[in-house]
Amino acid sequence: MSSYRRFPWLFILPSLVGFFAFNAGPILISLLLSFTRWDVFDPLNLQAVVDSWAGLENYRTMAADPVLHKAFWNTLYYVLVAVPLEIFISLMVALGLNRDFPGVKIVRTLYLLPTVTSVVAVGLLWRWVLNPYVGPVNLALRWIGQRLEALFQGTSLSVPASVHWLATQGPGWLSDPHWAMPGIILAAVWAGIGFRMLIFLAGLQNIDKTYYEAASLDGAGPWRQFWDVTLPLLSPTVFLNTLLALIGGFQVFGLIYVMTGGGPLDATNVLLFYLYQKAFGIFPPDMGYASAIAWLLFAFLFVLTVVQWQLRKRWVWEEA
Amino acid sequence: MSKRKQRIADAVIFVVLLAGGLTMLVPFLWMISTSFKEPGSLFDLPIQLWPEKLHWENYQRVLTAVPFARWYFNSLVLALGLTFLNLTSGALAGYAFARFSWKGKDAMFLVSLITLMIPAHVLIIPLFIIMSRLGWIDTYYALILPGLFDAFAIFLMRQNFISLPRELEEAALIDGASPWQIYWKVALPLAAPALATLGTFTFLAGWNAFLWPLIATNSIGMRPLTVGLAVFNTQFTTEWTVLMAGLSLATIPPIIVFLAAQKYFIRGLTLGSLKG
Repeated sequence: MSSYRRFPWLFILPSLVGFFAFNAGPILISLLLSFTRWDVFDPLNLQAVVDSWAGLENYRTMAADPVLHKAFWNTLYYVLVAVPLEIFISLMVALGLNRDFPGVKIVRTLYLLPTVTSVVAVGLLWRWVLNPYVGPVNLALRWIGQRLEALFQGTSLSVPASVHWLATQGPGWLSDPHWAMPGIILAAVWAGIGFRMLIFLAGLQNIDKTYYEAASLDGAGPWRQFWDVTLPLLSPTVFLNTLLALIGGFQVFGLIYVMTGGGPLDATNVLLFYLYQKAFGIFPPDMGYASAIAWLLFAFLFVLTVVQWQLRKRWVWEEA
Repeated sequence: MSKRKQRIADAVIFVVLLAGGLTMLVPFLWMISTSFKEPGSLFDLPIQLWPEKLHWENYQRVLTAVPFARWYFNSLVLALGLTFLNLTSGALAGYAFARFSWKGKDAMFLVSLITLMIPAHVLIIPLFIIMSRLGWIDTYYALILPGLFDAFAIFLMRQNFISLPRELEEAALIDGASPWQIYWKVALPLAAPALATLGTFTFLAGWNAFLWPLIATNSIGMRPLTVGLAVFNTQFTTEWTVLMAGLSLATIPPIIVFLAAQKYFIRGLTLGSLKG
């Protein structure tokens, strides 16, 4: 069918309106605001932007803002721990579940349960899972600690302080600045591996079975097959999955909001949460500064994507 | 590796996988069990795995202390509205990009793909300002309308329409049907599987949305479930049994829907990672 040669107004119009009103327009506004001291009570027009113009002031403020620095390092901490954990565990799970044994579908479904649960529910659930007094994690740790303590008491050795600590209190998790971020990461990894696993499974199922047959004929055992067949052929999926996890990790928000509110002592305050605080958590809101944070975060994501894309050539195997 | 060693390795892998799977399940089971426990019994030792008597008052309390049913309804409106809007505008534009040609079409398509690179957090501040100037904050408009343009939906529907055989549409054209009629009567029905998958994905995204609804609503009655639970959980900070009752109500139905329509959900979920 030869295409209709005209502009299909009726078909394009809804998306076009949405594009200008809720995408292109806002992006432009956000960029302009980041260079202003615009106040929420100012009118939303060019004159107001000119009147409140501040040049690079917001970006300069960021350079000297200790909370922003903290939020930056926290974001990095979160991403650098949570993403590798998520990718590694989900890859292992996917490899294990990429075969037929009775009940494999049920086990796969189990891993997907947190994926279909909203991040808010996950956060609330884990606030209680990690509760130092009644949460199951510390109950289990205390039980282990007490068993260890009993072991030591049977001998002439004195009970190490760490064992005693485990038996009597254990980590304070979300209320302890040192344990708060690990607590968030635990919840994030728990909730995230199902989805990553799903993507890995899809990638694994795309690998042509004849490669394994050929490798097997050549005498390659399971290890060799994994390193020389599975991993190279799966590398595009690993790349994609890692990139998606990184982008998601830089924008972690819901878990933080629900589990710690950025605390204690800003120990879990990340860039997106700080942006939210500046724009919606203080009065009067600092929309200009918050917009500048948004663009800083965007710049990180952009650079990260470009770097990943470049590095890809080094380790991602591509079919010629 | 010998057969025997292989079987042992398989058994170990299976046990580890199962243990991991149970780690996923146990918090949910614990949540349900706690939601039936007597308020204040959580510190009792030994820990009860399952309460001797079911304490339904936790559910009663959560349903009366906060407008739970209303939050559910709001989430449903948000998720369904977003899905409807997204599918409608996405399929229309996707069809235009697949079957029409006009000057500047490629540039338009490219620009829409570029928006995929802009993360949502850049949009929330200006969107909030626009919505408040329009007087739409705390209405369903603010919650749903930003989904009017979705480059991902357009891209997906375009790919789908391109892959459809053209013969049926050509036949309709010869019969004198207008492009508009061909779209509704011929092309769209053929796109049903793609619409179902995209719809599931959008519905899930809408149901679980948090950041934007948190900003776009402020009265207790307009909150969707996610925001309602997050904002009002402070009310139950020490009442774990009540909070767990609320969480059970919030998570069990979506899980049941997931189990029932797993095939579509999984296709919808993986959709987010498709390359083309």
